[in-house]
Amino acid sequence: MYEFVSGPLVWLAFIIFIGGSLYRIYKMLSDCKKENVVFPHMSLKHSLASLVHWVIPFNNQYMQKRPIFTIVSFAFHICLILTPVFLLAHLVLLDESWNISWFNIPDGIADWMTIVVIIGCIFFLYRRLTDPVVQNVTDGSDYLLLAITALPFITGFIAYHQLFAYKTILIIHILAGEIMLIAIPFTRLSHMLFFVFTRAYFGSEQGHVKNSKDW
Amino acid sequence: MSNIESWDWEIKEKMLAEPAKWKDQFEDVWEPYISPDGEKIASIVKIGEGEFNICVNGNTWEEPFEKMWYSRFSPDGRLTALISKDMEWTLAVDGVALEETYEYIWETKFSADGKTIAAIVRQESGYGILVNGKVWECPIKLESIASHVISSDGKTSAVIAQTVAVAEADVNAFTKGSWSVVVNGKPWKDNYVDVYGLAISNDGQRFAAEYRNSICEYGIVVDEKPWNEKFGCTWEPVFHPNKSDEITVPVRQGGQWLLATNGRIVWDKGFFSLLYQTYSPDGNNIAAAVAPQFAKWTVAVNGQPWSITFGECVQKPCFSPDGRKIAVIAKDSGKWLLVVDGTVLGKDYDNIWQPVFSPNGDKVICKVEKNGKYAVAVNGEIRGNDYEALWNPVVSPDGTKVMICGVEGGKYYRKVVLLSDI
Amino acid sequence: MKPTIVKREPVVDDALDQCEARLTEEEIEKVINEVIDKETGGRLWTYVNTCIHCGLCAEACHWYLSNDRDVSFAPVTKVKDTIWVMLEKKGKVDAAFIKRCSQIAHTECNLCRRCGMYCPFGIDIAYMLLVVRRICAKLGMVPLYLQDTVHSHAATMNQMWVKPDEWIDTLQWQEEEAQGYVPSARLPLEKEGAEIMYSVIGPEPKFLAQLLGNITVIMKVAGLDWTMPATAGWDNSNMAMYSGDFEIMARVERLHHETAQRLKVKKIVMGECGHAFRGAQYDGPTWMGWMKPPIPIVHAIEFYYDLIKSGRIKIAKKAEGPITSQYPCNVIRNAGLGSKLQYIMSAVCENFVDLIPNDRHAFCCNAGGGTINCGPPWKKLRVQSARLQSENFKRTGAHTIVTPCHNCHSGVEDIVDKYKLGMHVKFFSELLIEAMEIPEHLKPKEEEAE
Ligand code: HEM
Ligand code: HEM
Ligand code: SF4
Ligand code: SF4
Ligand code: SF4
Repeated sequence: MYEFVSGPLVWLAFIIFIGGSLYRIYKMLSDCKKENVVFPHMSLKHSLASLVHWVIPFNNQYMQKRPIFTIVSFAFHICLILTPVFLLAHLVLLDESWNISWFNIPDGIADWMTIVVIIGCIFFLYRRLTDPVVQNVTDGSDYLLLAITALPFITGFIAYHQLFAYKTILIIHILAGEIMLIAIPFTRLSHMLFFVFTRAYFGSEQGHVKNSKDW
Repeated sequence: MSNIESWDWEIKEKMLAEPAKWKDQFEDVWEPYISPDGEKIASIVKIGEGEFNICVNGNTWEEPFEKMWYSRFSPDGRLTALISKDMEWTLAVDGVALEETYEYIWETKFSADGKTIAAIVRQESGYGILVNGKVWECPIKLESIASHVISSDGKTSAVIAQTVAVAEADVNAFTKGSWSVVVNGKPWKDNYVDVYGLAISNDGQRFAAEYRNSICEYGIVVDEKPWNEKFGCTWEPVFHPNKSDEITVPVRQGGQWLLATNGRIVWDKGFFSLLYQTYSPDGNNIAAAVAPQFAKWTVAVNGQPWSITFGECVQKPCFSPDGRKIAVIAKDSGKWLLVVDGTVLGKDYDNIWQPVFSPNGDKVICKVEKNGKYAVAVNGEIRGNDYEALWNPVVSPDGTKVMICGVEGGKYYRKVVLLSDI
Repeated sequence: MKPTIVKREPVVDDALDQCEARLTEEEIEKVINEVIDKETGGRLWTYVNTCIHCGLCAEACHWYLSNDRDVSFAPVTKVKDTIWVMLEKKGKVDAAFIKRCSQIAHTECNLCRRCGMYCPFGIDIAYMLLVVRRICAKLGMVPLYLQDTVHSHAATMNQMWVKPDEWIDTLQWQEEEAQGYVPSARLPLEKEGAEIMYSVIGPEPKFLAQLLGNITVIMKVAGLDWTMPATAGWDNSNMAMYSGDFEIMARVERLHHETAQRLKVKKIVMGECGHAFRGAQYDGPTWMGWMKPPIPIVHAIEFYYDLIKSGRIKIAKKAEGPITSQYPCNVIRNAGLGSKLQYIMSAVCENFVDLIPNDRHAFCCNAGGGTINCGPPWKKLRVQSARLQSENFKRTGAHTIVTPCHNCHSGVEDIVDKYKLGMHVKFFSELLIEAMEIPEHLKPKEEEAE
């Protein structure tokens, strides 16, 4: 079981994740091309300006107005991306099978980063349950996406601390990680792929076409 | 332009008036107009509080009027203006106002020979067309006239008119149809939600217009009979120059623009935009301004676009007399360009007026503007001197000479130059 | 996802009710899919599938904020209750649903685009709601008064059923009025080759003709070579853009821009209107395939900015007391003229008190996007939902609010009225005409003045 989950399935997950992501981006771009006006309205300068103002925390009025959310959101996303990529345990596996490796985060820090992600998920869950606007646009899929996001971190954490049946938990963890990777291109988690593009377009439309700014 | 042969094509240069001096004579001098043969230049002038006249080559009409506007020369060289006296309006021709007056009068139009003068009038009984001093008779009250056309022989006037009164915010009455076409006072049998783009065939016998029946249902109606085909949108129809039963229209279908003749799609390619379809003089070819893609404009000839494109716009294409060449004015990066058969000719300008071809098509002549001065350009290059005001150059009927009329140093000149010299 | 619960009494609009009774589900399905397949593309799909349902956009919308955070007015709710459902059900929705869509898209959103600016992804909710309007319009589901205005555009090419003769007559009358101030002033009709074509919106000749007199004086004092058309094509406004009748929108804009080309002018200067600028500068040209208008169009704010900055118009006597200004979304947030507006306001006012928030972050007056044109049935809810901006106005302590936009002007008048602010509402040109210097040689001669 472990062999299968940590072998061929990993391959499959990554193939689907990367292939699916590429396909999604390609499809989006070609659909936008059909729309005729999208690309003529774009400008690199204004795309970058928009990204600079929205990727750096507190670099626009709106983030300044909601400091707590901004801090949680950035901490969550930074840890979400960095932890798995620089986790020693992951790199060891990578090294074993492919013989490549890079800088790793010390396990202690990674552990805390995992907790940050889990707290972020709890925060988002709390908003979803209590904020009337968010509540109103929530259905099962939103909880599912939160679960898909949280699960690899929760299980990874449990596995690392060897709290329960290690082997089982590890299998569940790996499965959860694979589910998440597969989910990214095909669910709203694809916001990871599209963020750059939606920002670039809105930034271009406001800046290049409308002579204004979007921050 | 009637009697173009009998114009003076011999005298090389005449100084006919000094409009600059008029400024000292009158309180205000409006922008000048010239007669088609270039012999007369006229401006409306203000001579006092509520007193206007018109100054033609330095002489004013006998009688001043309370208000005057829309001074226009007819093709046969008569000077018309819309004038008001005692709060009523009418038309004056060469200084003589019609006896009859109207609540309002506007949009003077002429037949090709200038013998017929028509305008839209408002009377107590509704709106109508004044033709050579008489308002046409129409059995129904016209609530409004949106536009009028007159056949080149002057025998027929047609209008787009509101034929049914619609109360404010009565959307149901409006969608039942309240607009139609009226030809020589006779309304068409059907009303439409909207009517646009009224056209008359060259022989003056047939009429075509766009109509709209609901939000995305447009069609073409020819002599009261709609085409069977419906479209998502249309632009104004154009008649074949010699066959009055052939009508060509840009139509929108499935989110793109296509060209249709008598209801059938004739070009195999669709465009993001398609405007200004124009027949060659013999009617065998059609050119139009097209945008194969958003913000990339060019001309398509029989459906085949030129390879060159322009970023801003393309105006109405114009064929050479033999139909072999096509000239068009295009705009790119803020500059106007003259384009002939897909090649930019000469320099860019601040403004370019509709070009004319020499008879054999090897020269394209047009009025251009650069840095606030006007000049005549041949194949896109300025020839001759600058003018403070300039009118479109006219090629003589035998094709050997060009008449150039303009104001230089405050003086109005009419010049005739050999085409071979410029 | 369950439909949002709406707790208020529905507004009654005859046209919507009649349309609801008439529509069939086949028709609805056909139109929805047609619009989505043929008229939208990657953008709509990406917006809908990227939205993470975080609700952050709510904080941007004055409808939501003015109505005690009523969830049904949050931007994301507005797309949830309209386009999301259409996409999810592939167009299989009923007439009552389409009616609700029209209420949301036509009457409860100003397309002011503030929410787009506050969504972390830059998801353009206003764009999606315009797609909804398009679908509604194709089905004939448009509020009565808005539809009537669109009919006026379609029939007369202007917003107010102004007939061609009434238009010219009004200009000639206002020319005389202007000559009362500056005897040599002229309103040149159909002057080919002038530098500027001046265009206005339908309500000017209909209700606010003195503005045409004012511009005649301003043009004379500034010594500009200008003209106005004596044909249709003079109106730059466009409610068809807002109902969703894009074919009529394009026809109106095309005529406007071709009229400028026919008159061979270098630029179009337009009066103080926000949505008209949007239609003439972006939406109209885009539909026509023009990246920008063939003849550039300059909004009044920029025009006055150039005149004052260059000294062509000098200020003799600044307006006294605290004066504030609305920032019309369509020329500020969506056209970047904020700092120019601040400049001209400071130039003609002794004490220009700025709004908070200001510039592109300012709130809509809640009249825009065609909502005020939806007419009397919708007025109560509209003005009630402008409460936030009424408080912002109040805080300035100004005696006058300047509105360089016709919609804002009417909308702000309603606000002043309802919230008893006791402020005047003026166009910028009305302040300018009082404040500017009229050179000696242009003034009426003594004996005439007596
Ligand atoms: C796809 C295949 C994956 C494999 C084979 C895998 C494998 C592992 C292994 C072996 C561990 C170490 C457990 C231990 O210390 O004993 C681990 C930990 C962890 N993994 Fe993964 N993982 C995968 C995907 C992911 C993904 C997609 C994420 C998150 C996005 C993730 C997040 C974590 C975290 C947060 C920890 C624990 C860190 C800590 O608390 O110190 N893993 N994983
Ligand atoms: C570089 C890539 C990413 C960017 C730029 C990004 C951006 C965002 C943004 C702008 C939000 C909106 C709310 C907020 O500001 O927090 C958001 C929310 C969220 N993102 Fe990401 N994201 C990225 C990657 C990911 C990934 C890889 C995942 C998980 C697999 C993820 C999961 C979430 C979750 C769960 C939320 C919260 C949803 C809620 O409110 O319930 N994001 N993201
Ligand atoms: S566009 Fe303006 S009015 Fe419409 S939802 Fe967004 S913020 Fe509200
Ligand atoms: S802020 Fe953007 S992502 Fe969040 S709910 Fe609103 S539209 Fe969706
Ligand atoms: S009416 Fe005024 S403030 Fe409101 S959307 Fe238009 S421009 Fe905005």
